Amino acid sequence: MSNVGTLNMAGASADAVSDALSGPRGPRPRPRFSRRNIFLYGTLIVVALYYLLPLYVMIVTSLKGMPEIRLGNIFSPPVEITFQPWVKAWAEACTGLNCEGLSRGFWNSVQILIPSVVLSIAIASVNGYALANWRFKGADIFFTILIFGAFIPYQVMLYPLVIILREMGLYGTLWGLVLVHSVFGMPILTLLFRNYFTSLPEELFKAARVDGAGFWGIYLKIMLPMSLPIFVVAIIIQVTGIWNDFLFGVVYTKPDTYPMTVQLNNIVNSVQGVKEYNVNMAATLLTGLVPLFVYFVSGKLFVRGIAAGAVKG
Amino acid sequence: MADTVETGMIGVDARPARRQQWEKWLIRGIVAAVLLRLAMLMGLSAFFEDLGSVGDWLVEGLPWLCLAVGAAALLPNLSSGIRLQGNRLANHVVGWGIGTALLLIMYFFGPQIQPALSFMGRSARVLVEFTGNQGLFLAAMTALVALSLAVIGSEGQLLHRPGLFERVWAKNLTAKIAAVPMMLVALGVFTGGTIWTVVYSFTDSRLLPREKWVGLAQYERLWGEDRWLISIENLLIYGVCSLVFSIVIGFMLAAMLDQKVRFENTFRTIFLYPFALSFIVTGLVWQWVLNPDFGIQGVIRSLGWESFTFDPLYNQDIVIYGILIAGLWQGTGLIMCLMLAGLRGIDEEIWKAARIDGIPMWKTYLFIVIPMMRPVFITTLVLIASGIVRVYDLVVAQTSGGPGIASEVPAKYVYDKMFLGQNLAQGFSASTMMLLSVLIVLIPWAYLEFGGKERTRRASDV
Repeated sequence: MSNVGTLNMAGASADAVSDALSGPRGPRPRPRFSRRNIFLYGTLIVVALYYLLPLYVMIVTSLKGMPEIRLGNIFSPPVEITFQPWVKAWAEACTGLNCEGLSRGFWNSVQILIPSVVLSIAIASVNGYALANWRFKGADIFFTILIFGAFIPYQVMLYPLVIILREMGLYGTLWGLVLVHSVFGMPILTLLFRNYFTSLPEELFKAARVDGAGFWGIYLKIMLPMSLPIFVVAIIIQVTGIWNDFLFGVVYTKPDTYPMTVQLNNIVNSVQGVKEYNVNMAATLLTGLVPLFVYFVSGKLFVRGIAAGAVKG
Repeated sequence: MADTVETGMIGVDARPARRQQWEKWLIRGIVAAVLLRLAMLMGLSAFFEDLGSVGDWLVEGLPWLCLAVGAAALLPNLSSGIRLQGNRLANHVVGWGIGTALLLIMYFFGPQIQPALSFMGRSARVLVEFTGNQGLFLAAMTALVALSLAVIGSEGQLLHRPGLFERVWAKNLTAKIAAVPMMLVALGVFTGGTIWTVVYSFTDSRLLPREKWVGLAQYERLWGEDRWLISIENLLIYGVCSLVFSIVIGFMLAAMLDQKVRFENTFRTIFLYPFALSFIVTGLVWQWVLNPDFGIQGVIRSLGWESFTFDPLYNQDIVIYGILIAGLWQGTGLIMCLMLAGLRGIDEEIWKAARIDGIPMWKTYLFIVIPMMRPVFITTLVLIASGIVRVYDLVVAQTSGGPGIASEVPAKYVYDKMFLGQNLAQGFSASTMMLLSVLIVLIPWAYLEFGGKERTRRASDV
């Protein structure tokens, strides 16, 4: 904001410049319902409705009974609210022979999520710190490869990883998937942490060095306490990313250990039986709840996360 | 990197050029030996199998030869003597020495140690490797490093800038050890895995990978197959449309939000929330909304327009556009956010100048603001492009590739061939084609984005 802008207080716009130089002060009064405003807000509201529509349909459908769905249209609110579909989706819905509902997938996902987030962030933050403050010969090469790896289609690396995991005896287990998530989370997280640690004042690092702190000492006592916000951003990226993953889940786990997204897809797209749309939508909503919760709670940090990851990528 | 600058600062350049030279060869020898050994382990040895006993000898001997080159570079310097007393690098020498000793113990007492390792289960297999030739090879390597460090450390000249070898093998050792996971991932998974897949796409592997070379036969089959051609066509339609629409819509939404509207945060939250949802959830919701009996088509028909038809998911010709609608719903919010960040980065003065000159708003956007936002556009382009090639979950959830094979995409083709169709090599060749298409976008971008910066960074590098 320029000086003129601040003089004019809030709401100042470019056409206030001439007013500030001569004539009355303060923002030029604007008609609230100008054609421009009607067009602007009208478009925004229409687009917002379009974006909200699927969420609304999901919620409404999941609260209706099947007879009501067959008769009414999908946009009408439920006449009789029932939570039966939610209970069924959670505990009784079938995939093939197994009828435990989504609950098993949910707990599998939780078991995958927690170690993956911890492990990937621990590795990536140390990497980022080493790259930012302890630059060594050849570090740039590894980092460049890592960044390239973020853009390469995962399909190229799927099978080699199957072999690696099989050799380690981890293929088909939760821990194998944890390892895969840590590997593929590394490029974006390392970039995030490297950029953050580079932005910290270098004097801090140098002072600690002079005082005799080593690699781990500086990391634990100086860098960690200073980088809480970036850790939160990293956690947001990883929680939504890992929870939403489908490809790795379906490749590296077995039916017993399928994460929630894979199980959801199996439930909804199973060909046997009558399609119960309300149960399907309840299941879909249940799977989407965790990332939606993270999104609405984290607010600006989520935006910062995707911006930090994306713009500089 | 900045050798001359630093030595210049200290004022003494006592390090003869010859010294730099032998250190370089030493490092080259060791690195080449280790890389060769790794490559042999990962399947390079298959190339030598046809050569019979000579091939076997080469597989084992080539890495040793590289190591020997390194050792030969070191030899002439042994004559200057090794001082262990007061050795500047004593700690490092002892450390590498202990490593050598451990590896040698593993090698010589391997049979005795192996039963003791069995309690670790299958992961012990990695350790058992070290009781064989791998252990001996690594021991030779560590011994060479220890010896070289001992020679270099004997000079005891603390004031000098450490030589190349010392910088690579001894300086910031903790940082290097901490970065080992990154190196393993970068080399082993990203580079090694990619090369492995490309190489094995020239074989006739089916259920398991095997080294029977068939040249480009897999690629010929791939491009002769209807399903692949449809996948490529779909990807092109989906790619071009989603690129154009998400950038146009994303930019227009961002421009509108940039007009100092009220409730900006609410609008942004609404536009971005689909991005938090997975492609599976997105696909399933839109499958329901586009359901011809109950969804949009059903609702409009029930309002009285009986002939209204909108069933993209059940019409082979337009099914990919049904997927596009869902994809745009999920991804445009992200593009909007990036564009908004770009717009906020434009100087307020530019707007004022344009206003004073009487340029209409749309012209200002088109001819001034958008050209100024070029980097943002390019980054967005690369992001969307690399995302498009990966499109998989969305199709699986929304249509499972149907009706028929009308909405297949390359990523799904790869998965189906590799894990369902037991035709690995087809999957490898298809994924290689995917890689190729990404590289065509990525390499020019990387060159533009980092090619210029590299030089300036070098200059300020310490």
